[in-house]
Amino acid sequence: MKGLQAPAALDGLQKGALGAGVAGLLLCALGFFTNAEQLYRSWLFGFLFWTGIAIGCLSITLIHNLTGGLWGLVIRRLLEAGARTLPWMAVLFLPVAFGLPHIYPWARADVVAADALVRMKTAYLNAPFFLARAVFYFGVWFLLSHMQSRWSDELDRGVNYLKTSRRLRGLGGAGLLLMGLTITFSAVDWAMSINPHWFSTVYGVLFMVGQALSAMAFIIVCVARFGGEDPLSRVLRKEQVHDLGKLMLAFVMLWAYISFTQFLIIWAGNLPEEIPFYIQRLQGGWQYLALGLVLFHFALPFAVLLSRDLKRNARTLAMVAALVLAIRVVDLYWLIAPDLAGHHGAGAPGLHPHWMDLAALLAVGGVWLTLFVRELRGRPLLPVGEPEIKELLEARAS
Amino acid sequence: MRRRGTGTPDIHGVMAEFNTPHDVVEAAHRVHAQGYRKVDAYSPYPIEELSHALGFHHSPLPLLVLLGGIFGLVAVYGLQYWSAVIEYPMNIGGRPLHSWPAFVVPTFDGTILFASLTAVLGVLALNGLPEPYHPVFNVPTFALASRDKFFLCIEARDPKFDRDKTRDLLRALPGVVDVVEVEH
Amino acid sequence: MAEHAPSAKRIQSETDALIAPGHTLASITEKIASLALKRRTPLGWFVGFGISFLLLQALLYTLAVLLFKGVGVWGINVPVGWGFDIINLVWWIGIGHAGTLISAILLLLRQDWRTSINRFAEAMTLFAVACAVIFPVFHTGRPWLAAYWLFPYPNTMGLWPNFRSPLIWDVFAISTYGTVSALFWYVGLIPDMATLRDRAKSKAWKIVYGMAAMGWRGSARHWHNYESAYLLLAGLATPLVISVHTVVSLDFAAGVIPGWHATIFPPYFVAGAIYAGFAMVLTLSIPLRKAYGLEDFITMKHLENMAKVMLATGLIVAYGYTMEAFMAWYSGNPYEKFMMANRMGGPYAVFYWLLILCNVLAPNLLWIKNLRTNTTFLFLISLVVGVGMWLERFVIIPVSLHRDFLPSSWGSYAGTRYDWSAFLGTIGLFLTLFFLFIRFMPVISIFEMRTILPEGEGGEPKS
Repeated sequence: MKGLQAPAALDGLQKGALGAGVAGLLLCALGFFTNAEQLYRSWLFGFLFWTGIAIGCLSITLIHNLTGGLWGLVIRRLLEAGARTLPWMAVLFLPVAFGLPHIYPWARADVVAADALVRMKTAYLNAPFFLARAVFYFGVWFLLSHMQSRWSDELDRGVNYLKTSRRLRGLGGAGLLLMGLTITFSAVDWAMSINPHWFSTVYGVLFMVGQALSAMAFIIVCVARFGGEDPLSRVLRKEQVHDLGKLMLAFVMLWAYISFTQFLIIWAGNLPEEIPFYIQRLQGGWQYLALGLVLFHFALPFAVLLSRDLKRNARTLAMVAALVLAIRVVDLYWLIAPDLAGHHGAGAPGLHPHWMDLAALLAVGGVWLTLFVRELRGRPLLPVGEPEIKELLEARAS
Repeated sequence: MRRRGTGTPDIHGVMAEFNTPHDVVEAAHRVHAQGYRKVDAYSPYPIEELSHALGFHHSPLPLLVLLGGIFGLVAVYGLQYWSAVIEYPMNIGGRPLHSWPAFVVPTFDGTILFASLTAVLGVLALNGLPEPYHPVFNVPTFALASRDKFFLCIEARDPKFDRDKTRDLLRALPGVVDVVEVEH
Repeated sequence: MAEHAPSAKRIQSETDALIAPGHTLASITEKIASLALKRRTPLGWFVGFGISFLLLQALLYTLAVLLFKGVGVWGINVPVGWGFDIINLVWWIGIGHAGTLISAILLLLRQDWRTSINRFAEAMTLFAVACAVIFPVFHTGRPWLAAYWLFPYPNTMGLWPNFRSPLIWDVFAISTYGTVSALFWYVGLIPDMATLRDRAKSKAWKIVYGMAAMGWRGSARHWHNYESAYLLLAGLATPLVISVHTVVSLDFAAGVIPGWHATIFPPYFVAGAIYAGFAMVLTLSIPLRKAYGLEDFITMKHLENMAKVMLATGLIVAYGYTMEAFMAWYSGNPYEKFMMANRMGGPYAVFYWLLILCNVLAPNLLWIKNLRTNTTFLFLISLVVGVGMWLERFVIIPVSLHRDFLPSSWGSYAGTRYDWSAFLGTIGLFLTLFFLFIRFMPVISIFEMRTILPEGEGGEPKS
């Protein structure tokens, strides 16, 4: 079907993203020669944020395969485009792989020699196994996003609807199982092990929810930007915007729930092996970020999204989504940066953001967005093989 | 069959019976367009278009529930703060007197409890329930309003109400099965 | 629109029938109302009610003995101070959660299939909460003396409850949950009470149902506010139901006992609650639809959807077990490691492996569609899950307590006959209430069933 390509406005976005990415990469190169250790750490931060959006896109696609609903059909191609960037993110993972000793204490021989607890954990936390697991995660994500787009394309071409949609449902079930495990263990590997002493059983869930929220907010911003233009405008109704808003509200609440209960349990237990995590994050300037998270990661979006009218208005919803996306950056920073600075527990350094944190965020983000737009433009923007979409397009045409 | 005074019987209104939801919605539209405002319709299940057709506004219930919730939030947090910090300060397990992370939990429950109570008492109050007696039950077929029939009633207190004209208007509606007077 | 809207709707109606074809507003109303209104009570009802009522006597006897002799008649002692009582509390509360989930969350998600099962699932919630609260209340030994440290009221001793304690959170959470569930259930019943009032033949029942209906007359004004209230209650009940099992999980997680203190407890307890609750809904609905010929309303689609929810929540629970085991090792904490080794290889290891069999392995059979749509199999697997979730709480509570930090304070635990009679007795209470409910109340929400009829049969006009 013609006329279902992504709107021309994407050209400008792609150019802008590419420019930002190149600028960011140049800054990172400069950073590499001035302070390579800081660059590796900042790079991890940028990498985790944008990869998180891509992973969230894949998870939401798979969830939608199981639940169905028009809201997900309307944004399916956006989600798939996000998921299809994941193989490329493996390339952006390389700096992390090369900088292991600069990021993770367990990768440094002197730390391992001096610390019995870390030595015990090296059965799991060691460079070859760590890298092998990363290869496995990316392999699973590649496979899932590949199969998802392949069968989704088959639906577009009208290949046996019932059989293909059953396959997609099956992929949803089995895929989510794999996503649960890969997200959890990648979160443990890439983020939690920055401080190899600390552990929390709910950490993986926290990442799942955070990634889904980032992806949802990102998609809402996209929908608000391109929803008024052909071809999305042909199928997008207030009801779908409303549904996306409800989902974002649900993820905001879920994030607050997981974050608060983790805090409450560790606060109530007050055990020396756990509580330093929060002590460190509630002093030295970090407490202001924590307060910001309470206000802008939960209270404000929650209060605004309770209103039915605001959820049905794509513009106001996108403003909330943009705020959520911005505060997601802060949340990730608050979660990993205190440990990246190298010392743990009380007496740790305070909040000292480095310019390279922003440079890495810009570099990875520019590259990621370029890839996203590229994937988006490669395929029709609507899954025309889905009967519900077909119906809307025909009703519009007649 | 009470009568007020000696003149005409004082009636509650005139009621029309319909077989389909479509007919009653259409009737509501027409009656509303004619300028009748003291109108109510009766159906076995909620029909959103019916309240649109009768020109009902947003229910005030969400606002009431929000206020009820805020009351519960403040009240339960206040109770905990007052009893644990001011009235009965006690060192338990070395935790601060003002242990806000712990206080969040009962506060949440209090918010939900008061909001829910407001929702239930609110819907009863707004609907005027419990109401032991209502004239519409005098209509013999009205028991079918809780089965498969749809009714529309123009009440006598409407300024435009005229016993004969209103009845004729209802009789002329499409799909009407029967029109009866509703006695007090 | 209706003419050239071919595929989507058709595909849906072929595979997803939520109500058998041929029903009208009148037939739905008469069929469901007649279950409550008919004069003759089937013999099977008397048999079921009789057995349940006998079991209930066991509960009353146990509680009488307990009040006379003290909580020592239960097998709890140092170091296992929480045994069957708290296991049963968590088990029953969890079972209740499916009712609220079906009535509130699925309503918000606009899942029409909730409609024919929400009424009795909500009733199940209420009865399960009633069974649950018996245990912590009587666990206090002298409940009438416990009031001052459980409830915040000005008393002559000038004492106030300790709000930093998860046990007080429990009091707030469970009492709020019981109240809100009852309100939600009653609000949902009002229009159906009016239906029964209008259908009842005898004067006495007309008065009883009429009082319950409070003068409801199905006016557009009524419905207008009613819909708003019902959605608001659903919106309030949803976070509440999640918070209740969260608070129950905090009873354990806020402490420092290895095996209890884990940050994953809240979400994994909530998933486990829904898991056990859906199992119970299946356990009840499969015989119910058969006995009362409700196959038209509780279709295979409903059963299959519930089976899918069970599969999904079962996998989440399995994820919880995996994380517990992995982190016990990863933490490097010797007590955590010992706790896990003790679960898997200690004196109660058989319960752990039975739990894995019941909760993790068995439900994976639900991936197979043929099994998922076989009522006998579903009934059996729901019983297996019910047992598995009880074992889960056994593994968490006494098995963590019997060997904690100090070997000198290790002990062992077994339920006494009063533990068993109390547990079986609450099953009797639950079933007694349930039998009374299905005899005198509409087991399916009549007015909501009317709304899912297609338009041609008198259903709502679809714009």
